[in-house]
Amino acid sequence: MARDPIVVGLEIGTSKICAVVGETRGDGTIRILGVGQAPSRGVRKGEIVDFETAGKCIREALVDAEEKSDVMIGSVYLGVTGGHIVGFNNRGAVNIPEDRDEICEEDFEDVQASAREVSIPAQNMFVHSILKNYYVDGQDGVLNPIGMLGRKLEADFHIIHGVATRIKNSVRCVKEVGPDVLDVVFNPLATAQVLLDQNQKGLGALVVDFGGGTMDYLVYVDGAVRQSGSLAIGGDHITNDISLGLRIPMAKAERLKIDEGSVILGNSRPGEVIVLKDETGFAGKEVEREMLNTIIHCRVREAFELLKKRLEEEGHLPFLGAGLMLTGGCSLLKGINHLAEEIFGMPAHLTHAQTVSGLTSAFENPQFSTAIGLIKYADAMQPERPTGLFGRLRKKLSIFGMW
Amino acid sequence: MIQLHRNSASQPDVRIKVIGLGGAGGNVLDRLLLDGLRDAELVAINTDAQALTASVAEQKVQLGRTTTRGLGAGGDPEIGYAAAEEGAEEIRRAVEGAQLIILCVGLGGGTGSGGARIVASLAREQKALVISFATLPFSFEGKRRRAQADEALAALQRYSDVVIHFENDRMGDSVAPLAGIHEAFVTADQNLSQSIRAIARVVRQRGLVHIGFDELATALRGAGESGAHCVFGYGEAEGDNRAHEALARALKNPLMNKGRMLESARNVLVNIAGGPSMTLNEVNILMEELNRHISDQTRVLFGTAVDPGLGQKISVTVVSALQGQAPPVVELKPRPIARVESSPVSVPPAPAISAPIAEPFVVPRTPEPEPEPVRLEPAPVILAPVVVAEAVPLFDEPEPAPEPTPEPARTPPPQPKPAKTKPAAAKQEQMQFEPVTRGRFEKSEPTIVDGQDLDVPTFLRRNVKVR
Repeated sequence: MARDPIVVGLEIGTSKICAVVGETRGDGTIRILGVGQAPSRGVRKGEIVDFETAGKCIREALVDAEEKSDVMIGSVYLGVTGGHIVGFNNRGAVNIPEDRDEICEEDFEDVQASAREVSIPAQNMFVHSILKNYYVDGQDGVLNPIGMLGRKLEADFHIIHGVATRIKNSVRCVKEVGPDVLDVVFNPLATAQVLLDQNQKGLGALVVDFGGGTMDYLVYVDGAVRQSGSLAIGGDHITNDISLGLRIPMAKAERLKIDEGSVILGNSRPGEVIVLKDETGFAGKEVEREMLNTIIHCRVREAFELLKKRLEEEGHLPFLGAGLMLTGGCSLLKGINHLAEEIFGMPAHLTHAQTVSGLTSAFENPQFSTAIGLIKYADAMQPERPTGLFGRLRKKLSIFGMW
Repeated sequence: MIQLHRNSASQPDVRIKVIGLGGAGGNVLDRLLLDGLRDAELVAINTDAQALTASVAEQKVQLGRTTTRGLGAGGDPEIGYAAAEEGAEEIRRAVEGAQLIILCVGLGGGTGSGGARIVASLAREQKALVISFATLPFSFEGKRRRAQADEALAALQRYSDVVIHFENDRMGDSVAPLAGIHEAFVTADQNLSQSIRAIARVVRQRGLVHIGFDELATALRGAGESGAHCVFGYGEAEGDNRAHEALARALKNPLMNKGRMLESARNVLVNIAGGPSMTLNEVNILMEELNRHISDQTRVLFGTAVDPGLGQKISVTVVSALQGQAPPVVELKPRPIARVESSPVSVPPAPAISAPIAEPFVVPRTPEPEPEPVRLEPAPVILAPVVVAEAVPLFDEPEPAPEPTPEPARTPPPQPKPAKTKPAAAKQEQMQFEPVTRGRFEKSEPTIVDGQDLDVPTFLRRNVKVR
């Protein structure tokens, strides 16, 4: 038994750091053993800005997870995000050497390398290159070209890259705390693995993780990742707007957003006010409900509109049969799915992780979608599980919906 | 094998003259020569014979042989003006034949403040495009000097096509706090000289995608109008990530306000020059990055050139003019040629031109109660190291000021005449009672999409009325 069935997903979010310990079973299901979390400090817009403070918070979260799951955490899968991470599509091509006609395994590596031979800014590094499709001698839709005869093998990849130093900073921060980082995963890719089933991936779906610091998105069309990225707008921005607009402290603005905030306009009685109470129950300031909602509405609408604009550039929007999956802490805002429906013109579902068992209360919160997704991703990526390279490849493909 | 020679002599040459007026201007000329400005003639103009002798410029014009008798103007613009008036004929000869005149001047003193408008108007008479680089004095030099500088700047703006102005006060931003004062001034001089060389290079270079005099004029058109100002950035970098760094440096130029100023520009001129090792990919990356800062409606005048002299470096020049508040005139407007009345340098008003403001140069100034201290030392000593730094007054920009600024106190220059109050009125409307703030994102890296700073609350940017 070479494989350790315990995997840990660590997400360093802007509002909280969360470590999920899970046990992967042979049949692809996951059992959650424990969830550790700690409020996050020193993180802005999904990126670590204060190394030391963030390190402490990571330690807290990991210790919490260890206690709850009774597992020693030795290695983690780390989720990363940030406005600097972008995805694009590229096709790699290799010519099969003259002395053989059959496509064999080493050609896979070559075609992936060739797809990566594209211009990304010098400071960036590759995070993922996700296979979409093979072409053999121009023939479309080949799923498994091994053993096929051909002169030329091409493959479409979705390539995700980001600024190397920032990604490495996150990794280093975790390593300094203790555990090893097995792999770095772009957050929405992990999220999508728990939110979408194969059917939805095939139909086409948009996953939007509206978190504390960033809004990450990923588009599946025909079972393959077609577009991904991250907008550096999140719940922090909403809180900041409220704080500036109503002139109240950030902490109160955050509370107000969670307890009373809604993105729906015109739903409150004219002149309806919310009384801000402090800890002692002393009635302090009054704020008008409509005003609060207007501020939230403006920000969320703008964020969605920016996202829509980005998606329209690639033109996948009309082909998303399964609609929009909204998750992340901000998806708890009242009425946000209606606003999303209005803007994107497709059904918007508020979702959270489903295909897991164990501590059910943990994954019913959309705030944990990404961390649980990391485990699911890890499960698929566990190198020792399937035997042989082909099995591994098959596994790699299947997670992204090819089979 | 047939060899083709690109005959550089046969191309219609644009003659460029760089004029350094006054002490500060002279210093910039020296720096330009040190930095190796090619293909431009340097002309030093000063009242101070001693400073003129020390100058390295090839052509020198001494002003005010009878007015100041070889001394400086003593910080008095009236004297500077009189001296320039006296030497008008010589100035005219000095600027003759150039298509592009770059005028470097430090405002606030005597020769610079007084003479700038005359030099600019004479240069314009020669049908040259006049680009003025002006520096404004430190605030510790006194309000009086500042007022003189502001007045001179307003005048200079009318007589040149473009004025790029730098405030000495902001010089501190670009230099490390611990740097020696000498180093600070050298950095400042270098910055100004770099800007001038960049303009000259854009005009002179034969590019792969050529950008020239005409494009420069398009990009800067309208910048001479009241309320308008020029946005300028230049960056050079080498190494692995040079494309990114060069652009970052260009946008870091204080005039650029980290690229936020570009959002409202109608025309943006971009010139990318590099050594033979520059790749298409680098140009691509650079332009993509730049495009994030400008709106979709903006016309981008793009040029690129290979210049072996740059070696392993890549240089980026970004030039644009922002319109003032008044709706800009799109058709080719007649250039407001300076009409000089009651002055020996007056010219007959050009026919097809609706001369905008016919007014004498001499500003009837109300006598000041305080007697102006006459400075006996030559102007350059005070003004010499003038350079660099942020310029664009924040209330001037069409977008909300991105940072809270203690500047509102810096009101528009004293405007004694009705013609001048007009831009002031436009500026007044732009004043913000509350500085726009980014709250907790104040110190984090801004998120800019389509030129908008997303960290500023949406309801503020969209002017949604709250409360």
